[in-house]
Amino acid sequence: MSLDVRLIDKKVLKDVIELVKPHTPQYCYQCAKCTSACSTSKVLPDYKPHLIVALTRLGLVKELLNSGIIWACSECWKCAEYCPQDVAPVEVVIALKNLAIAMGYKPPEDLKVMTKNVIELGYISPPIEVLSKEFEVYSRSVLGLPQLIKPYINVETANNLRRFFGGVYE
Amino acid sequence: MSKFLLFLGCTIPTKQYAYEVSVRNVLPRLGIELVDFPEAGCCGFPLKGISKKGWVYMSARILSLAAKRGLPVLALCNGCDTSLRKVKDILKHDEVLRDEVAELLGREGVKLNFNVDVYHTIEVLHDFVGVEKIKSLVVRPLKGIKIASYPGCHMLRPTDIPRPEPSGEPKKFDMVLSALGAEVGYYPDKGGCCGATMLPYSPKHAFRLTASKIRNMKDFGFQATTTSCPYCMEMLDSKQEAIRTEVGDDTLSIPVFYITQLVGLAIGLKPRELGLNLNLSPVEEVLEKLGVSLYE
Repeated sequence: MSLDVRLIDKKVLKDVIELVKPHTPQYCYQCAKCTSACSTSKVLPDYKPHLIVALTRLGLVKELLNSGIIWACSECWKCAEYCPQDVAPVEVVIALKNLAIAMGYKPPEDLKVMTKNVIELGYISPPIEVLSKEFEVYSRSVLGLPQLIKPYINVETANNLRRFFGGVYE
Repeated sequence: MSKFLLFLGCTIPTKQYAYEVSVRNVLPRLGIELVDFPEAGCCGFPLKGISKKGWVYMSARILSLAAKRGLPVLALCNGCDTSLRKVKDILKHDEVLRDEVAELLGREGVKLNFNVDVYHTIEVLHDFVGVEKIKSLVVRPLKGIKIASYPGCHMLRPTDIPRPEPSGEPKKFDMVLSALGAEVGYYPDKGGCCGATMLPYSPKHAFRLTASKIRNMKDFGFQATTTSCPYCMEMLDSKQEAIRTEVGDDTLSIPVFYITQLVGLAIGLKPRELGLNLNLSPVEEVLEKLGVSLYE
């Protein structure tokens, strides 16, 4: 295997370090304790946090972002606990997700829907009707729970949310 | 009497109604006063992958609104609890981001203030109500029932901020269960992950992660499990049948309860006052042992 140096993006590590501070991905020495601890890796062995950190440090993230595998992180934070170097791979992955979105990559479809709902309704989903085991239909009102109001009434709140999240679905 | 702002987050008020029903009926009976907090909305934690800054802004907004109310926050959801505490920590240390968030909030007439105490359900039960008081209120002990506490990731991690269970294990959780008369104990990967966050990427892989948790509980002889996180509940209870189908193992069946539902049962509340008819796992197995009908 040869390394195509044209794919190296030096800016990535700088951006990631900025986003994950005070954690220190530049100190990773590839002990792979994070991958041993990783919940996602248990069911998806192709997902290896130590390799994600290595590729990030080398600036070789294009394939990583193209594959979409960063969205498989279960965010259990075990990698960060096991890491002897305070790399916090989970935070690196979150930073990579942010960079991917800024570069125009799309997140998984469900996350797009959740984002849209948060901006428009204030919650990741509208209040749904649920079924009991006996197929009875329950809603908040049937259960006697107070009606859910839209929490964002200020137009500036909506503007702020759009500024951060609007790009993924608009 | 302790008084808290009831912060519901997203999942609880839009689909995991049993948690809200049981909290609203149980906590006041334990001397906890709950104040509604409808202006809060989503904490932003599920969206931090889209924009970390956006997430910090969203949680900072909720903290500021809570500060204005002058009450501590009771976060029912593991994700909300972690989100608010983590953002408090970020705002404390990152001056640049703090100023940016303050500016954005200022535009909507909200003054940035993150000097707010945040507590999780398990802390309210264990630290505020206390096991002795809970024990004194038990009229229907969960005797002879071996219950696996399932804290969920974010009750334990990340440990660089204060956690509801600071020991890295669900000790408070097990003490509350013991106070109810239940048997508790060890099983492998008790602090493991339910896989809920993997759902948008691949339900199939997420289900396999949940399946491994149920298998561990069954292998160690547990007859039921309990959590205080709506995401864990969603995986363990609501999707239990789909999980059995996915992994092709019919033995992966276990009754799943919110901790507040178990407290409610033990202090004598009716199953419907606890939303137990909304649990999709075989909770009847436990109710039968207690001589309670789901439909009374």
